[in-house]
Parts: sequence; structure tokens; C-alpha cells
Amino acid sequence: MFAGADHLMYGITIFIAMTGLYIVIARGNLIKKLVGLGIFQTSVYLLYIAPGKLIGGTAPIISEQFKVYSNPLPHVLILTAIVVGVATLALGLALVVRIREAYGTIEEDEILEQGESPAAGTITTTQV
Amino acid sequence: MKDYLVLRVVAKLMIVFMLLFALYVQFHGDFGPGGGFQAGVIAAASIIFYAIIYGLPAARTAVPDWLVETMIALGVLIYAGVGVIGLIAGGNFLDYFVLGHDGVHGQHRGIFWVEIGVLVTVAGVMLKVFYLFASRVREEG
Repeated sequence: MFAGADHLMYGITIFIAMTGLYIVIARGNLIKKLVGLGIFQTSVYLLYIAPGKLIGGTAPIISEQFKVYSNPLPHVLILTAIVVGVATLALGLALVVRIREAYGTIEEDEILEQGESPAAGTITTTQV
Repeated sequence: MKDYLVLRVVAKLMIVFMLLFALYVQFHGDFGPGGGFQAGVIAAASIIFYAIIYGLPAARTAVPDWLVETMIALGVLIYAGVGVIGLIAGGNFLDYFVLGHDGVHGQHRGIFWVEIGVLVTVAGVMLKVFYLFASRVREEG
């Protein structure tokens, strides 16, 4: 039964990963691509955290009452990964803002149409 | 959103509870899921909510830029300060055991202040990122 639960988690991980990958490939909107990347990231979190959880295990604080503890290391690793994920998402959004300022659109096909000579100056933004 | 009376009233009610929930997540982090990262994001989300309903200038008056930038540095200072206090008290850097009269008490005290530092920095960074994105306005023409 426990082995079955493990394989279920792998199945869910692959499903979420492929959902994210499909969004990244199929959607031309750059914001939607970032959402897809976020969903893909979530699958990696699940892949790491699921093996660290023991069914019936508690938080790893030594106590007389408990004999089974979950492994805290994957959780700490993924906590770091979530923080890094926020930072890379902010970087991606900043790039999208700059692309919109240069090309006036965030649709990938419309950007490719303009080629290497963007219609500069269509949208200008300023920091207030 | 200045004309939506219901949104404005409900927002003002909800922001209080969002901040309270952030503090709950912060202090419950000792005993269960929670901690500085999550609490910082929830606290920043309440300010971002305020900015969405009442406008960015109002939020920047309530939580000014200098405060946000101070928070970013202050949290790191608190975190590192706990480590240095451990050094002064005769342990290693970030050694919690020497902070209290016994080991367990010292652990509690060390984790408490480290999590406060994480809360302050995370809330500050989230607000700074939001302010930077939201303050880019389109020039007409």
C-alpha cells in the first residue's frame, strides 16, 4: 500500500510537470509562459517533498511518545527553492516589462513579426 | 477602485485579520507549519491588498519607501545579530544553546529572534518588488 502511495506521488508529479511544460510551449503570451514555469516548479517541489514524508511520522523533534520521524532535509531544500523561485519569477516579470516597453506587446508571435527592428517608443513607462 | 464603497469597507476589515493571521503563522512556527517566510509574505500581501483597493500612493504613505528599505536591511541585521550574541555569550556563531539559562530555553529564544529577522526582511523585499513593478506607469502619447 505504501509503495502504491509513492508511485501515486510520482504520477502526480509527472502530470503537473507536463501541464506546466505544455503551457510554456503552447501559449504565446509571456505572462502565461511564466505561469507555466511556476506550475512546472511546483512539480519539482512535490518530487522532493513526497519521499521525505513518512506516513505516520511526525516533525523531527525527539520525544518519548514518537518513534517515527519525517525527514526534514527535503523540506528545508524546497523552502530555499521556493525563495529562489520567487526571485526568478520577479526577474522574469521584469524582463516581460522591458520587452513590452521595447515591442509594445507581450505576445510572442507579434514580437517575432517585428524582428530585430522593434517599433521603439510605442510605449514608454517611467518610474514614479 | 475609489468608488467601490463595499470593497473599501471590507478591505479595511480584512487587512486587520490578514496581519493578525501573519502574526499567528509567525509565532505558531515553533510548534507547527509556519515561520518567518510565510508570515512575511502574508504581511506583505495585506499591504499589497491595501494598495490595490486604495491606490499605490495611499499604500506608500502608510508604508513609506524608507521604511521598506530599512526593513530589508534590519531583518538581516537581526539574523546576524543573533549569531554575534551567540559568539559573545561564549558559543559558536548562531549557537542557540548559550542564549538562555538552559539549552532548550536558549533554542526557543534563538529561533524566535531569527524568525523575526526573516519576517522583517521577507515582508520588506516583497513590498519593494511590488512597489517597483506597480510604480512603473505608462506615459500617454
